[in-house]
Amino acid sequence: MRTYLAPGVAVASVAVVMAVGVYAVAVIDGIAGRLASGAGRIGVSVMLDPPRTVALLLMQRRHRTERADGPGWAIAPALLGGLAATALAVVPVARGTAVADPSTGFVVFATAIAFVMIAVFLHGWSPNSLFPLIGAYRYGAQALSLQIPFLLAMLATALPAESLAVMDIVEAQGDLWNVVRQPLGLPIYLVVGVGVSFWGPLNLPDGADLVGGTSAEDAGTDRLAWEFARAAMLFAVAAMGAAAFLGGWWGPLLPGPVWMALKTLCLLVVMVATRHLVARVRIEPFVVACWTMFIPLALVNIFVSGALLL
Amino acid sequence: MLGPLGAALAVFVAATVAMVALRSASDAIAGVGETAPERVPFLGGHPPEMHAWSRFHARYYVMALLFLAFDMEMVFMYPWAVVFVREGGIALVEMGMFITILLVGVLYAWRERALRWA
Amino acid sequence: MAGACAAVGLSAAARRAASRAPVPVFPVAGIGARREMDDLLVEPRLRIVDTPAAANVLLLAGEVPNALVAELALLHDGLSHPRTSLWWTLGAGVAPVIPFSVEVRDSDPSALVDAVVDAHRRLLTGELASSSPQLPDEDGAPWRGVGPYGQGGTGMTGGVPYGRPMAGVAPDRDGLRLDQLTVRIGPFFARFPTGLVLELRLQGDVVQEAQLVLPPSDVPTARVASTPFSDALHVPVRVSVLELERARSHLRSIASTLVSHQLGSLARRVLHLARQVRPGDDEEVERLHRVLRRSQILGWATSGVGHIASDRLEGTAAGPILRASGIARDERTDDPAYVGLGFEPIVHEGSDARARLAQRLAEARHSLELAGRAGDIDHDPESPLESPRGRLAADDLPAQRILPLIPALLAGMEWGDAVSTVVSLDLDTDEVLAMRATDSEFLVP
Repeated sequence: MRTYLAPGVAVASVAVVMAVGVYAVAVIDGIAGRLASGAGRIGVSVMLDPPRTVALLLMQRRHRTERADGPGWAIAPALLGGLAATALAVVPVARGTAVADPSTGFVVFATAIAFVMIAVFLHGWSPNSLFPLIGAYRYGAQALSLQIPFLLAMLATALPAESLAVMDIVEAQGDLWNVVRQPLGLPIYLVVGVGVSFWGPLNLPDGADLVGGTSAEDAGTDRLAWEFARAAMLFAVAAMGAAAFLGGWWGPLLPGPVWMALKTLCLLVVMVATRHLVARVRIEPFVVACWTMFIPLALVNIFVSGALLL
Repeated sequence: MLGPLGAALAVFVAATVAMVALRSASDAIAGVGETAPERVPFLGGHPPEMHAWSRFHARYYVMALLFLAFDMEMVFMYPWAVVFVREGGIALVEMGMFITILLVGVLYAWRERALRWA
Repeated sequence: MAGACAAVGLSAAARRAASRAPVPVFPVAGIGARREMDDLLVEPRLRIVDTPAAANVLLLAGEVPNALVAELALLHDGLSHPRTSLWWTLGAGVAPVIPFSVEVRDSDPSALVDAVVDAHRRLLTGELASSSPQLPDEDGAPWRGVGPYGQGGTGMTGGVPYGRPMAGVAPDRDGLRLDQLTVRIGPFFARFPTGLVLELRLQGDVVQEAQLVLPPSDVPTARVASTPFSDALHVPVRVSVLELERARSHLRSIASTLVSHQLGSLARRVLHLARQVRPGDDEEVERLHRVLRRSQILGWATSGVGHIASDRLEGTAAGPILRASGIARDERTDDPAYVGLGFEPIVHEGSDARARLAQRLAEARHSLELAGRAGDIDHDPESPLESPRGRLAADDLPAQRILPLIPALLAGMEWGDAVSTVVSLDLDTDEVLAMRATDSEFLVP
């Protein structure tokens, strides 16, 4: 019997968790930025700036361009946000507790990740402007190259569990976490997670060389919704990483959900901090690295861990 | 009553609708109305001469074909992962052969400079 | 009634909160203002943005030549409501042609930030009205179709759907004939120096052809701002002052490179250093080098990008660009003031963006070390002068020699690499704004 919540409760709990997660991403980003720039002491402003920026963006008028694709522009951040929420919904927080735990939860998560490419492309296509368009197509190359290493790295975690349900994947880590059993998996997953949420060094669609890329014509709640959805996607990826690689709710002393939160926070710090530490990659060498380095490594990961299971 | 997939779908629909509503709410707060020059796409100061919408040369199309092949492989790997431990070594060998054939394809694409485009 | 009161109270609280958020500012650096504008990145109360759609405040510093007035007006109109515009005079004599809401005469950066934050607060509470559009509400590309929904007309390619033409096809080395976009990347592109206009033919994200667009020669050049290097052409200036200024200029150029590679926090760190560095502080730059090595800015981000062949650089005397290609030519070797200091030019191999970045870093360190040892030696106006960008003489600016390299350099490059290359050339804003099209090599708008 797979667990799930009633729709109303499901939506409410995902909304709360998503809001907390996005706020956490914003605060960690602020702290990491201040630390990297050597600004001295970190004040209370790092906690207050995110809601202040939200208020500012709410008051800014949305920007329109001539002959834009209005419905597409409206749907793009909403689609990204919806996908992030779906990805978050399949992550279990404790044994027998999940918003939605289908028997193919892993596939639902992978689908949500794959569709991000559509959301970003729509976001770049809609304004009918040059820089967003280049950003959209660039993300196409990035997303296609990242899909396979992502799937392979995560698939290795399904092998010991003999199931595609995320609850079972976490359940199977009772004796040993997957990060120990399959050491190559988590690094690849983190790189791919940063890439799918186009964050930091892999922020090619919204890059500085494209002066904001797909977000170049965004203002007001367009920008707010897009940034919110992006941070939510990053949070969802970190949460799934904590579940699939770091043992989810397993841990001594503290209750399961607390361990989940701590592990998610850990991965979130690593992923968010890359933005202030690593330069943006160039798209071509990155595509080559994905196909010739990450895929073979992920395959080695699968086959070695598979062989050890037998 | 909806089942787990139904719950996930409900979350997806609710989140999408909520974000569209948020976006539209700003029209009430911040107002609408822009003149024609305010709607010109930004290129640094000059207006654009032609529409950005064009048959953009997505030079990575060869890599996209390679992705298709691996995506089909992933379709087979999903059920394979579930039954792997039960089937034992023969499953490992069979999938290994499949993957090796595909990796030869990647090697070919790499040698043919399909992964580089500028 | 209670609901309305709550709504009003909530909105007032929201406005107060919004006025305390970092103010989104789109900066335009005019003549003599680039250094001050780059330094604004470190201000925590401002958020420097790349596009006008993201900005509420248009900040103009210094003086923008009249040739760019139309573009400035279009830029102003691109800002999102509620918007306002500030002019930071910084000693400029002539007011900008389009009216600016607020004028700041104090050259102190913190006074400027206070003025910006205050103007933004008044904008959000309604005391300051949102700046009205500068250009009349006329469609630049009017279009009238035939059918009831405005559709129809004569043809697609060759026609003008929705006012603007579609891109035409052009051959490509792939063998495919796909669309080629012709765009003019304007004077206020955030990664380029103000005034640099490129007319590009893009196929996909690869530049097929690039050309520079410069104002015609009959447009008068505005006054040139004074820097220690321009002063050194006329009066004796201390070598330690020159070398300190050179180190600061190189550090600012490195910060600009970091921003273009999305390392804004590290760029702030470099700008902090540039502000507080003193002669003899070369250890600080060494520490910075170690931090930068980890960030891959000297690795995958710039390696192999923007390679210039050494024979193209012959005769350009382009300073660090020339020395990063392995040619050890430096005007300071012929300067008697430096002979006593035992000056030897530093050289790097590779002639790509990575070599130029490493070159500027090494030269910054070297300059601080020289400045520490120089004491009271003066630079004689008669001796050759090496500015941070190359040989500088009365009518012989480095930008005049470097800009002609750009068209051939950018052809065939992917867009991100093209931007990295132009950033690595470290063009001076004042020099670019002073350039005029003297021969048919450059396009005239």
